[in-house]
Amino acid sequence: MAATDKVGAVMVVGGGISGLQSALDLADSGFKVYLVEKQPSIGGTMAQLDKTFPTNDCAMCIMAPKLVSTGRHHNISLVTNADIMSVDGQAGDFTVTVKQRALRVDPAKCTGCGSCAQTCPIETSDEYNENTKVRKAIYVRYPQAVPLVYSIDKDKCIGCGICAEECKAKAVVYDQEESTSEIKVGSIILSPGFDEFDARMKGEYGYGVYKNVVTSIEFERMLSATGPYFGTVLRPSDGDIPEKIAFIQCVGSRDEQVGNEYCSGVCCMYSIKEAIIAKEHGGDIKPKVFFMDMRAFGKEFDEYYNRAQNEYGIEFVRSRVASVFEDPETKNLVVKYVEKGEPKEEEFGLVVLAVGLKPPQDAEALSKVMGFDLNTDGFCRTTVFDPVSSSKQGVFVSGAFSSPKDIPMTVAEASGAAAKAATEIASARDSLVTMKEYPEELDITGQEPRIGVFVCHCGINIGGVVNVPSVAEYARTLPNVAYAEENLYTCSQDTQEKIKEMIKEHELNRVVVASCTPRTHEPLFQNTIKEAGLNSYLFEMANIRDQCSWIHMHEAPAATKKAKDLVRMAVAKARLLEPLENLTIDVNQQALVIGGGATGMIAALEMAKQGVKVHLVEKEKELGGNLRKLHYLPSGEDPTEHADALAKEVMSNDNITVHTGTGVKNIDGYVGNFKTALDSGEEIEHGVVILAVGGQEYKPEGEYLYGENPNVLTLLEFKEKLKKDEAKGDSYVFIQCVGSREEGHPNCSRVCCTGTMTAAIKVKEKNPEAKVYVLYRDIRTYGFREAYYKDAAEKGVTFIRFEDDVKPKVEDKGGKLQVTVTDEDTDKEVVLTSDYLVLASGTRPYPESEALAPMLKVPMTKEGFFLEAHMKLRPVDFATEGVYLAGLSHGPKFLDESIGQGLAAVARAMTVLSKKTLEAEGIVASLDETLCDGCGICVPTCEYKALEIIVDKKDETKKLVDVNVGLCKGCGACVGACPSGALTQKGFKDEQIVAMIDAALEGLLGKQEVKQ
Amino acid sequence: MSSATPNAGGEHKLEQEDFEPRILVFCCNWCSYAGADLAGVSRLQMPPHFRVIRVMCSARVDPEFVLRAFQKGADGVLVAGCHPADCHYIGGNYRTRRRIALLRILLQQFGFDPGRLKLEWISAGEGERFQKTIVEFTDVVNELGPSPVRGGD
Amino acid sequence: MAQKHHTAHHGKKHEPDKEWEPKIVGFLCNWCSYAGADLCGVSRFQYPTNIRLVRVMCSTRVSPHLVLDVFEAGADGILIGGCHLNDCHYMTGNFHTEKRVELMKRLLKEAGIDEGRLRLEWVSASEGEKFSKVVTEFTEGIQKLGPSKVRSDDMMKAKVSAADDASQTFRLKALVGKEFNLLSKGNAYGEEVDAEKLTGVIDVATQDEFERALILELARIRPMSVKQLGMVMDVPTDKILRHIVLLRQNSKIAMEHPEGFTPVYKTIAIGGEQ
Repeated sequence: MAATDKVGAVMVVGGGISGLQSALDLADSGFKVYLVEKQPSIGGTMAQLDKTFPTNDCAMCIMAPKLVSTGRHHNISLVTNADIMSVDGQAGDFTVTVKQRALRVDPAKCTGCGSCAQTCPIETSDEYNENTKVRKAIYVRYPQAVPLVYSIDKDKCIGCGICAEECKAKAVVYDQEESTSEIKVGSIILSPGFDEFDARMKGEYGYGVYKNVVTSIEFERMLSATGPYFGTVLRPSDGDIPEKIAFIQCVGSRDEQVGNEYCSGVCCMYSIKEAIIAKEHGGDIKPKVFFMDMRAFGKEFDEYYNRAQNEYGIEFVRSRVASVFEDPETKNLVVKYVEKGEPKEEEFGLVVLAVGLKPPQDAEALSKVMGFDLNTDGFCRTTVFDPVSSSKQGVFVSGAFSSPKDIPMTVAEASGAAAKAATEIASARDSLVTMKEYPEELDITGQEPRIGVFVCHCGINIGGVVNVPSVAEYARTLPNVAYAEENLYTCSQDTQEKIKEMIKEHELNRVVVASCTPRTHEPLFQNTIKEAGLNSYLFEMANIRDQCSWIHMHEAPAATKKAKDLVRMAVAKARLLEPLENLTIDVNQQALVIGGGATGMIAALEMAKQGVKVHLVEKEKELGGNLRKLHYLPSGEDPTEHADALAKEVMSNDNITVHTGTGVKNIDGYVGNFKTALDSGEEIEHGVVILAVGGQEYKPEGEYLYGENPNVLTLLEFKEKLKKDEAKGDSYVFIQCVGSREEGHPNCSRVCCTGTMTAAIKVKEKNPEAKVYVLYRDIRTYGFREAYYKDAAEKGVTFIRFEDDVKPKVEDKGGKLQVTVTDEDTDKEVVLTSDYLVLASGTRPYPESEALAPMLKVPMTKEGFFLEAHMKLRPVDFATEGVYLAGLSHGPKFLDESIGQGLAAVARAMTVLSKKTLEAEGIVASLDETLCDGCGICVPTCEYKALEIIVDKKDETKKLVDVNVGLCKGCGACVGACPSGALTQKGFKDEQIVAMIDAALEGLLGKQEVKQ
Repeated sequence: MSSATPNAGGEHKLEQEDFEPRILVFCCNWCSYAGADLAGVSRLQMPPHFRVIRVMCSARVDPEFVLRAFQKGADGVLVAGCHPADCHYIGGNYRTRRRIALLRILLQQFGFDPGRLKLEWISAGEGERFQKTIVEFTDVVNELGPSPVRGGD
Repeated sequence: MAQKHHTAHHGKKHEPDKEWEPKIVGFLCNWCSYAGADLCGVSRFQYPTNIRLVRVMCSTRVSPHLVLDVFEAGADGILIGGCHLNDCHYMTGNFHTEKRVELMKRLLKEAGIDEGRLRLEWVSASEGEKFSKVVTEFTEGIQKLGPSKVRSDDMMKAKVSAADDASQTFRLKALVGKEFNLLSKGNAYGEEVDAEKLTGVIDVATQDEFERALILELARIRPMSVKQLGMVMDVPTDKILRHIVLLRQNSKIAMEHPEGFTPVYKTIAIGGEQ
C-alpha cells in the first residue's frame, strides 16, 4: 500500500438515520468510523416516528436493521453520550477531543435485560415519547436502542442503590466518571440533525397552556403502537377520542415574526401522513389541515395528497390560523381563521401544531470548535455544486443540518457526504480497518451430531419464571445432546470462553443457546463458535425470554413447559444443521456511469479521484446535459461556466474514459461482473452501474397556444431568450404546473416554482417597470428557496392563485397575448395582457430509461422514472445489487439534490468497488438439479431477479433454473413456490423446518412418537 | 379477582376440561418476529399455548409446512408477516397472502375448520398487536376445540 | 370536618352511634412497649377497655399492609408502640418504623381517613403510667372522631383497599425501606441526601401509587372511562390518563373496545387474560 500521511478513519457526528448511513457506507468501503452521539443510544428522530410518508412504512421496522448492523459492525466504534470538545489539525489528519459523559453503567457488562429499570422507584418523563409516558431514572431511550446499554439519569436518581442490588451482571457503577479521549480521523461528517421549533413561542396557539394542543412530534408518539396510547388517538386532557382534529401548518416556519423565514420542507407531508394514520386508527375521526401552500413536492407526494383528500376524506383549508382558544368547560379548542376574506371559527377536540425544523442547539458551538460557517438561519452553509461540504476542508455535512429536509434526501446526502469524506482520505483506504482472524474450520462431515445446549437465566428475567435447571436437565435427555448447562448470562464475556471450552472438551459440533432473541444475539454466539473452529451456521437459538418468560410471567409451569418445547425444537433443527459457506464473487473494480450531465460527471469524477477506472457514456456529443440549459441559478452562479469546467475536468482525468455520442445497447451480468455493449460497438466490463440518464422538460404542444404563438415559451426556453436579451417586453405571465399535478402526471415537478422565481426576479432586475404575473396553484419554494419567493414578491411580482380545475385561458389578441384567470382568492375573473407567456412545464424522464430498465432488471414508476429499492432508506439503490441511480431519472429535483444523489451513488458503489471479492449471503436458495424440471414457477417470485431459466448443460433438451447466489438475498420465497421440491433454502431447509414443526407438536397424538 | 376474568369458553369448557390448544406460529424474521420480541420487551402477557418458528420471510412458509403441522395435531396455525408494504424482501408477503387463501380452502376440504389457519400482518413496532392476535386466536382455537386429528371435530 | 363535633353526647340522630364503642387495636413491641403495658397493669394504672393489644417482636414488624388491613376490617383507631429511638432492641428498627408510619399517614390522608386514627408512641419498659395516659388520650381522640366509615361507605372501603395495595407496591416499599439509610448514611454516590427533596419524591410516589391502585380498584368492578374515574376520585382527568398510560403499559388495565368517543378501561385480573 502506498505510504500516506492521511488517517484512514472518519468521525461521524450524530447518530440519526443520516449518521447511520454515512457510517455504514464508509465502514463497508474500507474506513474506520467513529460514530459520536449526544444521546446514550443512536437512532435520532426517525426512531421516534410511527410511520413514514408516502408509503406509510413503519419507521422502526425499516430502521432497525440499519441500527443493528451499525451496532455490530466491527469497523464502527460507537461513542455515545458524548460531546465534541475540540478539533485540531487539518483535512486528512484531524485530532478530535471527545468527552463521554458518565453512563454510570459499564457497557461491557450490561446485557440490556432491563431488570434495573423494572425496579427503579423513580419515575420521570420519557423524552423519547415526548413526555407522554414515564421512564425510570435508569433507562434506555427505547426498547430497540443500540447500543442496548442502560444509563442512569443522575439528575433524577436519588442513589437508593436498588438497581445495583438488582443487577446480577454487576454493571451499575455509581462512581463512573466522564472520560475524555483523543481520536485521530482524516475526515469529519456532521449529521447532528435538527431541533423542533418551540411552539411556546407562538403564544396565540396556546401550546403549553391548553392540554389538547400538541406538537406534531408528540402526536407522532400518540399515533404509535409503542406510544402512550398503544395507537389509539386520545385527548391528553381527558382520554376521549377527539372527533375533530385540526392540523395547523407552518408553526415556526415561513414566519418573519419568529425569525424563521424559511420553509421547513417536511411539515406538509408529515401532517398529511399523521392525518391519514389518525383516520386509519379511528374511522370516525375527522382531520382538517389548515395550510398556506401544500408543499407535496417529492416523488409521488402529490398522489399521497390526493389520496388523503379523495380516499380518506381529509379536509384541507387554505388559511393561516390566527389563534386558538380553549373552552374551559369541555377543553375543546376554537380555531379562528380567515377563509376567502371571511373570518371563521371552528371547534376541535385536538389541535396538532406542525412545528418547523430549526438548527440544533449546539450548531454554533460545533461551528466554532470545527471552524465552519453557518448560514444566516443558523444551519451549516453549503453550495449548490458542493451540497455536502462545509466551508472547512475535510468537514462534510448531511441531513437537516444543512437545510430542513426529509428522510430520503437525508439518506442520499449521508451517502454523498460519505463519498466526499472517503475521497479526502482515499489513499488511506483499508489502513485502519481490521479483519478478524479465525482458526481453521473443523471438518465435521460424517460426524454424529453432538449438540451443546446453554440455557440462560438472564439474571432473573428467565430464571424468575422458567425453571431453568429443569430445562437444562431436560435438554440432556434429548437425542444427540452431548452437553447442557445453565448460565446466569449466556451472553456475558466469561460465558463465551466457557462455550469455547465446552466445544473442545465435549467435542461439540452443534450449539444451541436458549436465551433471548436471535435478532440481537445470534451474531455474538455465531462468532463465539467460529472462534472455537465451528462453522457459524452450526448454531441455533431458542427464544425463551422475549417470547416466553416475559410474556407468561404469571404462569411459571406453563412457561417452563414451553421453554422445554422451544429447546426441543431448536435441538431438532440443530441436529440437521450443516456448515454453510459464504460464497465469494470476484469483483471487477471498474465503474460504468450512464449519462454525462452534472450528476453523471460529478459521480464519475468522485470515483476517479478515489482511484477507480470509470467509463462515462453520454448519448449527446457534448458533456453537460441539462446544466447547459439552466442559464440562471437562483443562487447567482453561472451554470454554463460550471458545465464547461466540469466537462474539462472529466475529459482530462486519466481514470475516466468518456464515450460520447453513443447509447447503451445491452448490459449483462450481475454485481461485480457486468458486461456492457455500446451502440458504438465498444464492450466494457465493470463491477457497478450508475444510472444518471437525466430527464427533460415537457413540451406542452397544444396547451396555452404553445407551438402556435412564438411568445409562448417553456421556462427553459424563456430563460435562454432572457440570457440572450431577446425577451424584452413590458409584461410577462407565468403559468405554473403545466403538465404536472394533473391527469396522467399526478405529481409535482418540484423545480418549476423556484425556476419561475429565478426568471421573474431576472425580468424585474432587467426591467423594474415590467409587469410580472405568476399564476399558480401552490407555491412550492421549500427550504431556503422561500427567500426567492419573498424576493420576487418584494420586487413587485404579482401572484394569482387559480383553482386546480379552473385553468387559465390564453388567446392571441392581435400580437398581444391575453390571459384570463379566475383569482381563487376573490373569485373574480382577471384579464391580463402580456408580451410573453411562460409555461413552467414539468420534468419528464427520457425514453432511454425505459430501454435500460429491462437490461438491468430494475423497476420503473408508472410515470417512467426509475423506482429505487426503498423510497425512504435506499433512495439511490435498486433491489438489484451493483446498480445505482441519481438525478432526474429518479424524479424531478434541483441541481444540488441531483449532485447529492450522484455522490450518494458513488458511496454506495464504493462499497462494492473497494473490494476485490464480495461475500454472498450464506443463507441462499440452492437447487437440486435432478428434481428441477425448469417449469419457471419460481422465477417471478424472486424480487431480486436471482433466478433464471437456462438450458441444462448436461442435457440440452432439459431446462433448469439457475440460482445466482450473487443476487439471492435468502428470503426463501422461491422455495415456498417450487412445486417439485427442487429448490431449498440453506439454513432453513424443508427438513429442518419440518423437524421443528414435528418437535413442537410432539406428543400431541398419543404416545406413538416416543423419543429414541 | 377471578370474578373479573372473562372465562373463555363458558360451558363449552366443561366438556374439554383438559384441552390445552397447541398453536404453531410462523413469524418472518424482520417484522413479526421482531413484533413478538417487542411484546416480550413490553411484558405483554398472553396465553402460553403457542410455539414460534422463525423463517426469513413469510413467503418461505411452504403450504406443506402448514399441512404437516395440522397432520401432527396442531389445533391452529398462525402465519405472521410484515405489513404488505413493509416486506424486507420487497413483495414476499403478497405471495404469502395468496398462498394462505388457497390453503384455507384446502383445509376445509380436509374437514378442518378454516378458522384454524390465520394470517396476520404484524410489524416490528406492534407488540400489542402480536399479543392481541395471540389472545384472540387462542380464543378461537379454544372455541373450536381439539383438532380433528386429535379426536376433536 | 363534621365528624369532629359528632361526639357521643349529641349523636342522637344516628341510632347505631348510640351503642358505638371505638374499636382500637394496639401493636406493641416485645421489648419496651409490651413490657411498659405489663408494668402499667402491675402498677394498676387504669385505661379504657376499647383497646386490643397485639404483641410483635419489634415495632418495625408493623407493616403498612398490616395497619391498612386492620383499618379495612373496620378498626376505628390503631396505636403502635415501640422503644424510644436509639433504645431499640434491634438497633435501628424503630427508625424504620418512624418512616413507615409516615407512609401510613400519607396513605391514610389519601384514603380520607383522619390521620389522628393512627398514633405512634415510644413507650419504654419502665413507662407504665405513660402507657395508660397514651391509651386514654388516644381513646378519647377516637371517641371524638367517631366511628370509622370504612365499612359503611363503599368509596371509603375502595380507598383503604387502594391504600393497602399501594403500600405493597415495590416502589413504595423500596423508597420507604431505603429512606432511613439514605438520610443517615448518604446515597450510593456517597452524597448527603436532601431530606426535603426525598420527602417530596416519596410524597409524589405515594400519591401516584395510591391513585393508580384506586383506579384498578374501581375499574375492577366495572369498566370506567377517564372522565368517570376523574369525577369519582376527584383527580384531574389528564392525570388519570397518565396513570392509565402506565397501567396499560404494565398490563394492569385494558382498554375495552370504545363505543363512541369515550374509551373505557377494565382492570386485568392477575394471571393474564385467560
